[in-house]
Amino acid sequence: MSRMKELVKGFVKENPTYVQVLGMCPTLAVTTNAVNGLGMGLATTFVLTLSNVVISSIRKLVPEKIRIPIFIVVIATFVTIIDLLMHAYLYDLWKTLGLYIPLIVVNCIIMGRAEAYASKHGALDSLMDGIGMGLGFTGSLVLLGSIRELFGNGTIFGIKVWSLRVFLGILPPGAYITLGLLSGLFVFVGKKRGDKK
Amino acid sequence: MMKKEMLKTGLTLMVFTVVAGLALSLVYVATKDRIKKSEISAKLEAINQVLRDPISGAIIVDEREVNEIVRREGVESRTLKEYKEGTVLGPLYTFLSRDGRKVYVLSAQAPGYGGNVVTMACFIENGEGLMLNAIRVLDYSQETPGLGAKIGETTVQERFSLIPPEGLEHGVRVDKDAGSPQGTVEELKAKGIVKVSDVMTGATITSRAVTTAINLMYKYLTEEVLRR
Repeated sequence: MSRMKELVKGFVKENPTYVQVLGMCPTLAVTTNAVNGLGMGLATTFVLTLSNVVISSIRKLVPEKIRIPIFIVVIATFVTIIDLLMHAYLYDLWKTLGLYIPLIVVNCIIMGRAEAYASKHGALDSLMDGIGMGLGFTGSLVLLGSIRELFGNGTIFGIKVWSLRVFLGILPPGAYITLGLLSGLFVFVGKKRGDKK
Repeated sequence: MMKKEMLKTGLTLMVFTVVAGLALSLVYVATKDRIKKSEISAKLEAINQVLRDPISGAIIVDEREVNEIVRREGVESRTLKEYKEGTVLGPLYTFLSRDGRKVYVLSAQAPGYGGNVVTMACFIENGEGLMLNAIRVLDYSQETPGLGAKIGETTVQERFSLIPPEGLEHGVRVDKDAGSPQGTVEELKAKGIVKVSDVMTGATITSRAVTTAINLMYKYLTEEVLRR
C-alpha cells in the first residue's frame, strides 16, 4: 500500500512540474506540441527511474563528501545512454529534441529526487518514486504540450481538432500563461484532496 | 591521515567513473552501426526527395548511382564556403541525370527566427545556366511551431521548386520582399520570386532563410564549381 503511495504521489499531490515547480527549462522549451512533450517526458522518466534505483543501491558505498559528483556521474551516464539509443532508434524525435536531451543531466527533478529521496530510501521505494515522478513529469509535459498545440495549431498529437488558432499558445508567453494556470489548478486539487483526508 | 582520506575519496570516485565509462563504451559499441545507418538513411531520403521531378514525381537520377555516390562522399556535413549571410555545406554530390545533364545536390544554412535553417537543394544544368529542381528543409527545429515550422510541410517546400535560370540569376526572394506582386506561383518563379505569403503567414523570416540558402548555393555553384 505504502509503495503505491510512493508511485502516485508524483501524479498530482507532489507533481514535479506544477506543484514542485522543478525542471522548468525543458518544460517551457519543448512543450510546443504533445509529441515533443511525450518524448521528453519518457526520456526523463527512463533516466530518473534508473538513476534513482542505482543511487539508492549504492547509497551506502558513497562517501557523504563526494555524493554529488557521484550522483552526477550516474545521471550523466544514463543520459548519454538514452541519447545514443534515441539517436540510433528514434532519429526524428532525437533531432527534434536536440539539445534538450543532454540537458536532462541538469534537470533539477532528477538531481532533486537523487538527493532528497533515492539517497535516503531503499531501491524498491526509489524505483516507485522514479516511475511516479517520471510519469508525473511526462503527464505534465503532454498536458501542457497538448494545450499549446491545440490553441496554437488546432491539433493534438497532429490530429486536427478545430481551425481556431491563437498563436500566443505556441509562443513563449503562451507557455508561461498555460503553465501558471495549470500550476494553480494542481495546487488547488492537491489541497482539496488533502483537506478531505 | 588527511592524505589517506583524500586518496580514498579519489579512488572511490575513480571506481565509479570507470564503471560508468565501461557501461557507456558498451552502449556506444552496440549503437554505433545503427546510428550511422540512421544518419545515412535520413540523408539518403532527403537526397532522393530533391532528386525527384516536382511535377511527375519521377526520380531524375538512377537510384543505384545515388546510393553509390552518397556512400562514397559520406553524409557528414562540412563547410564548403562561409558567406556573410550564411554557410554553404557539403558534401557536394554530383550526379548525372538520366538525360545526361549534370545534377548538383548540396546544402546551406542561413539564420531563421530561432536559429539556423538548413536547406538542401538540387540544381540541374540547364543550357548555359542552372535551374533549381527542388528543395528540402532539413533542419528547422528552432522555428516557431505553427508559424515558421510550417516550412517543414511539403506543400510549402514545393513553392520553392522549379525555379528557372533567369529567376536564380535575379536572386531568389520571397514575395513580401519583392513588394507582394500579383501573379500566379509559376509566373513569379520566372522572376525569382517565391510566393509564400499565403501559406506561411507571419513567418517571412523563416522563408527568407530558405531563399538566402538557395541564393548562396547558387552563388557557390556558379562561382566556385562552374567558374563562369
